[in-house]
Amino acid sequence: MEALDILARLLVWLVLAPLLPGIINKVKAWVACRQGPPVLQLYFDLARLWRKGVVMSTLASPGFLIAPAVAWVAVVAAAMLMPLGRAGCIFSFDGDVLLLVYLLALARFSTAWGAMETGSAFEGMGAAREVSFAVLAEIGIITAILTLALESGSISLASMFTPPPGPGAALLAVGLFIILLAENCRVPFDDPNTHLELTMIHEVMVLDHSGPPFALILHGAAVKMMLFSALLVQAVLPLAHMPLGLSLAAMAGGIVLVVVAVGLVESLTARLAFRRVPLLLTIGFLFCLFPLLLTWMEGVL
Amino acid sequence: MIPPFFFGSLACLCLAILSGRFPRLWLALVLSGAGCALISAAQVLGDAGNWAWEASFTLGCQTPQFLVDGISALFLVPVSVIGGLSAVYSREYWSDHHHPDSAPRGRSWSAALILGMILVLSLANGLHFLLAWEIFAISAYFLITLDNTAPETRKAGWLYLAASHAGTMILFAFFSAVAARTGSWALGPMRDQAALAPLFWLALCGFGVKAGLFPLHVWLPSAHANAPSHVSALMSAVAIKMGVYGIVRFSAWLPLPPGAGWVVLGLGAMSALLGIAFAMAQNDFKRLLAYCSVENIGIILTGLGLAILAMANGQAAWGRVALCGTLLHVWNHSLFKSLLFLGAGSVLHATGTRDMSRLGGLWRFLPWTASLFALGSAAVSGLPPLNGFVSEWMIYLGLIRAVAAKGPVSGAIVPSVIVLAAAGALALAAFAKAVAIIFLGAPRTRRTAPVQEYGWGMRAPMLVLAGLMLWVGLFPAMALGPAAIAATAWNPGWSGNVDIPVFHLGSLHLLLACGLLAAAYVVLRKVSRNGLRDSLTWDCGYAAPTTHMQYTSGSFAGIVTRWFAWILRPARLVRKVRGQFPEKALYLERTPETVLEYCIHPLGRGVGLLAEGAKKMQHGRLHLYILYVFAGVMALGAMAFWGGM
Repeated sequence: MEALDILARLLVWLVLAPLLPGIINKVKAWVACRQGPPVLQLYFDLARLWRKGVVMSTLASPGFLIAPAVAWVAVVAAAMLMPLGRAGCIFSFDGDVLLLVYLLALARFSTAWGAMETGSAFEGMGAAREVSFAVLAEIGIITAILTLALESGSISLASMFTPPPGPGAALLAVGLFIILLAENCRVPFDDPNTHLELTMIHEVMVLDHSGPPFALILHGAAVKMMLFSALLVQAVLPLAHMPLGLSLAAMAGGIVLVVVAVGLVESLTARLAFRRVPLLLTIGFLFCLFPLLLTWMEGVL
Repeated sequence: MIPPFFFGSLACLCLAILSGRFPRLWLALVLSGAGCALISAAQVLGDAGNWAWEASFTLGCQTPQFLVDGISALFLVPVSVIGGLSAVYSREYWSDHHHPDSAPRGRSWSAALILGMILVLSLANGLHFLLAWEIFAISAYFLITLDNTAPETRKAGWLYLAASHAGTMILFAFFSAVAARTGSWALGPMRDQAALAPLFWLALCGFGVKAGLFPLHVWLPSAHANAPSHVSALMSAVAIKMGVYGIVRFSAWLPLPPGAGWVVLGLGAMSALLGIAFAMAQNDFKRLLAYCSVENIGIILTGLGLAILAMANGQAAWGRVALCGTLLHVWNHSLFKSLLFLGAGSVLHATGTRDMSRLGGLWRFLPWTASLFALGSAAVSGLPPLNGFVSEWMIYLGLIRAVAAKGPVSGAIVPSVIVLAAAGALALAAFAKAVAIIFLGAPRTRRTAPVQEYGWGMRAPMLVLAGLMLWVGLFPAMALGPAAIAATAWNPGWSGNVDIPVFHLGSLHLLLACGLLAAAYVVLRKVSRNGLRDSLTWDCGYAAPTTHMQYTSGSFAGIVTRWFAWILRPARLVRKVRGQFPEKALYLERTPETVLEYCIHPLGRGVGLLAEGAKKMQHGRLHLYILYVFAGVMALGAMAFWGGM
């Protein structure tokens, strides 16, 4: 029964995740009055890439091929820790939320490793920016976790999502949304549509990848998007108290809503001037910090 | 069963000091000495309990007393493991063939260093503790300056000696004050004597210098960077832990002043953040590693500070977790830091430079070193499933439990959690930089001599360390046992089972490791089936990429160094490209040791000026000298008369 549960969750994460980039692209196309690529485009791309051969830089070591696999496993493992509304988690223990954060760090380390393998100026630039801005993003995530821990009195993912309704939840939602945009390389931090601009972060790190490793990178990015959307939805909506069916439906609806919002932000705003990126990330951090202070003040008063 | 092993280890190491001229005998003696010390520590951490022993003779009017409890035994383990492994490594790294003059000296002093550290950890008499402390400090000085022809090394050695003695002076004051107030040099639990509480600050300063706590770390980067690499490994992995030992030990024995926990927590968090910010800015990879030690000491002290707070508030639930994490981090840091320094030694040996901007693409020539260094980097960045994550996770667990408990302290702990998170992410950035700039990409300078990997004598110790790291990472429950025993020795009130879900973490780590291996295998297989074609790096259509276009260590760190420019104060030398036919452009950036160059040096110059002024009093005129003596006697007499002394 437990094995079946694990398998079902794995399938949900692996199969549904590539839908999200498709939805974002549809939203962008709709705003621009275009037809746009089909929602299932990423599935086609992944299938195509998985069959293709690989071109590898003469400078790169075998680590260049392994790094995307490491990053993918880390992201999927992080996703498996995430509870699904009322359905809860499969494994849960005190402090698993920190494991989740550090699994994402493992993914970042190996992506940066893969980028530096090629000795390309572009990819070095991307890696340097990714690891530097991640400092601010990580501060934001830890603050959000502290907020949730203070609200629920628990530090296990299974029981820490008990958001009280109120201004705190709204602030946290904004903060987590900003971090979601940064961590998933969306506008205004990064533009997933182009590779060649000097302000790119994540997209330039994968310039040299091709074939199955590149498929893993794209799929991992989709899973990460879903992971952050699930985190955001559960941090704001009290899904754990709803009946099972309703909570799963609310979660799915919430994730789609988040993704549509990402698409709208992408259509309606321009990318930020590069030196403003830390500023926006700091704002995201502050949005996570205020609900922390609110909760703490309530506890003290 | 402890005495024969313990004294056997002391005897072996004493003989090893004398046998520096005979490499094989020396190695055998050091290894057996380290092995015996390890066995006696293992017995104390097993079920033998504390071991105390008092001599029937006196030394310096004091009876030598030995005490090995959980805390000492926990620190004895890395001393003996890293001591033994660095001895094996040094045989090939600092061989008689290449260093006929300094190799025998180095062997004797490193045996003395290990002996000194074992004595520091086991002596329970203030006077003898200070003697052992001096043996340890002085032999470290001679090891740092082993290559005494380089002026930079001599300078680093002097700085170390000066800082170390400043620390020792504070410790002299500390131990004599303790002896004066308790009436005896014997050390032991003194919690009930509240008058001793302010002395904790002296201990924190004195041991903090040795530990490399942030504002007191000025000696550390240059000493660790200029020492031979096996010495750097020993220094960075275990010698600075003696300072940590002192702080842990006396926070357990002394009554603590109110606020001690906050100060230790704050200093720890500051060390963690600023240490890693300085590490990020370095171009010299050994200096980078040295600054990273400052960060890790900061992490250790953050955990200790939390434990002190928890003890003061009677909160075993989070204090014990943090303390176990702290003590386990002592082990973990010594494992990965010595692995990294030994790897750095291989790189230095092979290329002859410590400047990362001259390296690159070394994985092809040094595959073993590259993979082991990468493993160490992942561990020091706290990535699962390796050992660094286990202990950092436990410290975080303590901190966040403290926040979630909504107690009176929780709000004030929040900043330290955020600072630690930033330090963790910066550590990842710094080590992604180190590993990538040294080993990946293309070589940044043309090399004349061929670069080659070194033999098993240097590789084997690194493999052992990597194995130990994996062991702690994958089976953390086994490593938690000793840490819990030491935690109980620190506060006897905290006994029984520790509430840390470390078994769950261990099983997830195992699963993750299997998943990583499987995924790597599948991808490599799939790629080789689909076909693999080699080609030039695709630089967005640019046809003639050169190695100079790669990111360097300075450019990789650029964003972070700009954030921390207020304390790093990087000195830049820029010559821009000008005109239609530009001359050579130049961009040099150097990050000074800010505290040393902006605080200690001006202070030193001030003292120098004062001394210069005082020189005028020394003019050689006898009658004025007699006047000085007369005035001095009068002043003393006046003091005695009115002071009633």
